[in-house]
Order: sequence, then C-alpha cells, then structure tokens
Amino acid sequence: MTFSLLHATDFADRLLYNIVPPLKAGMIVLADRYAYTAFARDAARGVDRRWVRELYSFAVKPDMAIYFRVPIEVSTDRLMARRVKLKFYEAGLDMGWSSNALESFRIFQRKVLDEYDRVVEEFGLSVVNAVGSITEQQRTFRKLVTQHLDIKETDEQLDEQLA
Amino acid sequence: MNSSTSSLPETADSGVRPGSYYGNGIPYLPIDGYPGKIIAIEGTDGVGRSTQIRLLREWLEVQGYGVIETGWTRSELMQPTIELAKASNTLNKLTFVLLYATDFADRLEKEIIPALKAGFIVLSDRYVYTAMARAGVRGVDRTWMRNLYGFAIAPHQVFYLKIDEKTLIRRVLQSRGMDYWESGMDMKLGDDIYESFRAYQRSLLREYASMADEFGFRVLDARRKISVIQDELRRQIGAFLAESDTSSAARIDGSPEGQR
Repeated sequence: MTFSLLHATDFADRLLYNIVPPLKAGMIVLADRYAYTAFARDAARGVDRRWVRELYSFAVKPDMAIYFRVPIEVSTDRLMARRVKLKFYEAGLDMGWSSNALESFRIFQRKVLDEYDRVVEEFGLSVVNAVGSITEQQRTFRKLVTQHLDIKETDEQLDEQLA
Repeated sequence: MNSSTSSLPETADSGVRPGSYYGNGIPYLPIDGYPGKIIAIEGTDGVGRSTQIRLLREWLEVQGYGVIETGWTRSELMQPTIELAKASNTLNKLTFVLLYATDFADRLEKEIIPALKAGFIVLSDRYVYTAMARAGVRGVDRTWMRNLYGFAIAPHQVFYLKIDEKTLIRRVLQSRGMDYWESGMDMKLGDDIYESFRAYQRSLLREYASMADEFGFRVLDARRKISVIQDELRRQIGAFLAESDTSSAARIDGSPEGQR
C-alpha cells in the first residue's frame, strides 16, 4: 500500500513537471513505463485493482500505449545475463513468497505478467512481441507509431540508423 | 475521474462498521475481528488536541489499557520527505495529497493495524478527515479523495473539537504564530499572511463541518476549559469501552476494571 502510494506520488510529480508542460507545448512525450506498470505491479503485490485504477485517474490518458511482451523465461534470462544480483523489491522479496531471490522473482514476475495481460485487454494496449531481435521490435514499434502519428518513415532509414 | 461511482466508500452513517475499511481496503491485510479500537481526535490548529490526547492516554493506561498514539506526518518513512518537500516549495496539491496518503498508509500498516490486532487503543491525533479537509480546500476532487482513503479504517469514535475562527486565530497567535502552510500561503489567497490564514482556516472549518454528518463526528465545543472537554471525552469513551469490552478483549493485561 505504502509502496503503491509512494510510486503514485513520484508519478504525480513527474506528470506535473515533466509530462504536462511538453504536452501543452505540442511535443511528444515518450514514457518508459506508465500508470499501467503500477496497475500490474501493485495488483501483483495484492493491492485492490479497482483502487489503483481510481488512484491514477489523475493521469493523462496516453495517445498510444505499447506493451512489449515476453514470456517469463526470456525476461528472467535477460535479467540474469545483465547482472547477477536482483534488487530486493524487484524480486518481490518483500512479499515473503520465497527467500531465494530468483525463485521469488519468478513467482512475482508471473503474477505481474498475468496482471499485464489483464491491463492490455482492459485498456487496449498495442502489443509488440519482445522475443525477437531489437531491430525487428523497433520495426514493429515504428510501424505502430507511424500509423498513429501519420508520418512517413521508411525501413531504409531505420536500417541506416541501426547499422 | 469519477469513472466508477460504485467504488465509493460508504459513509460512517450509511453503514461502514467502525473498525472496518471504508472502501475495499487492503486485500492482503484482513482486519475483521481485531480487538483493538481507534479513537480519533480531529480539529484545526489551536483546539488542544495534543493536550487532550496526553490526558486521555494517562487515564486509559491507569485503567490497564494498552495505548498507542499516532499522528499526522509522523511516519518514520515519510516525515523527512514531507518536511523536505514543504521546505523546497516543489509541492503541488496533488503531490501534497499523495505524500500525506503515503504517510498514513505507512502508519496504518506498521503501527495502527498491528496495534488493533494486539488489542491496543489507538489514539489518533487527527485522522484522514484532516487530509480530506485540506484537499477539499485546495479543490481536489472529493470522490477521488474518498476513494483514495478507501484503505482507511473507520474509527470507533471520532471527536471533533470545534472552534470558531476568532478564537482559533487568537490561540494560534498566542502560541507559536502563523506558519506558511497552516496559513495556506501555497494557495495564493493573498500576500498578507494574516488575511491568508483567516481565509484558509475559515474554509477548513467549513470542510470539517461538511464532513461531520457524513463521518459521524462527535462534536465538542473546544472553547471550553481543558478539564471540561477532557471529562466529556472520558465519559463518552468510557461508556463505549464498557459496552464493547465486557470480555476484556481490549485489555492487555487483564487488570480489573474500574480501578481508578
């Protein structure tokens, strides 16, 4: 509960200082995670789903929301490859499901992914299959954004950038 | 906002049992059947809340009750953050409201609920109504606020120490003077701190008054002598405790009743 509210406070602060002003100026705001992350993470921690959604009703509804979906095995492997030690809260060790960080992370992450699936459906998020290569993902991502913004973008441009 | 009116917590008068959550509560912390009691003392500045609480505590402890006190922004986790945010002037009404809610959640999970479970009496110096009053004055959506505090527990008794604007101003000036936040200077009601304080406290009093029925406040006239108010508090609390714990559920050590 406290965890959830601390994150909401941080979000409110960023919303008012970093998100709303550029929107007013007509800029594009790229948000790495949004309120949907809170919906998934807090519900996985046992907070009431409806309450979290109401809590974040002050958030601006994004014009477009994209969910990069991976199976649990992939996300665990990637995390393990990146660094050795899982952070306490990231692994959901506060929940007391398991004293083993990796095991706890798996349990927690499974719950989080289930909640995300719920969120995707409820709020109509676009899904990108995040198992593929970065180039592939970026291609799909750009296609989605291009459609939405109605701008011209070509694969050649992307290939140049990613080369 | 207001997308779902069905999630509105019910008011004290319309059926929320004292000692249960106002709204959906905290699913992972069921509190049904906990023997402790929450008694909240509400009111603006200068009504003598802390004096009354100190006296109540002594009185209850002499009778063998376990007592803990909790008060606004006293959470270990949040107090430094709140002080810092106030000092640095970066708060707006939303972050202000959320920081207070975080402080309350921390105290609820770490102090209040464990104390209720262990059968203590929790004396709360201000409760969520203060947060609602402050937010109301600042124009935060009421439905949203009530939903936000849907994880709060309805106290067994709420005493509202009511005071009029004039007496309030004199008492505050006599004690420690007006400060920036208590004068609502963030609301830019005017440059004059006295005028701002007056306007701010007046709207606060209106907010409290509007909640009295909704949350079943027991209203006490705070202009009376400390001892008179204390007697009235003891009478009402004593009657409530006698009625609810003939089984000595809220006692920690079983010392006999009425030993004062």
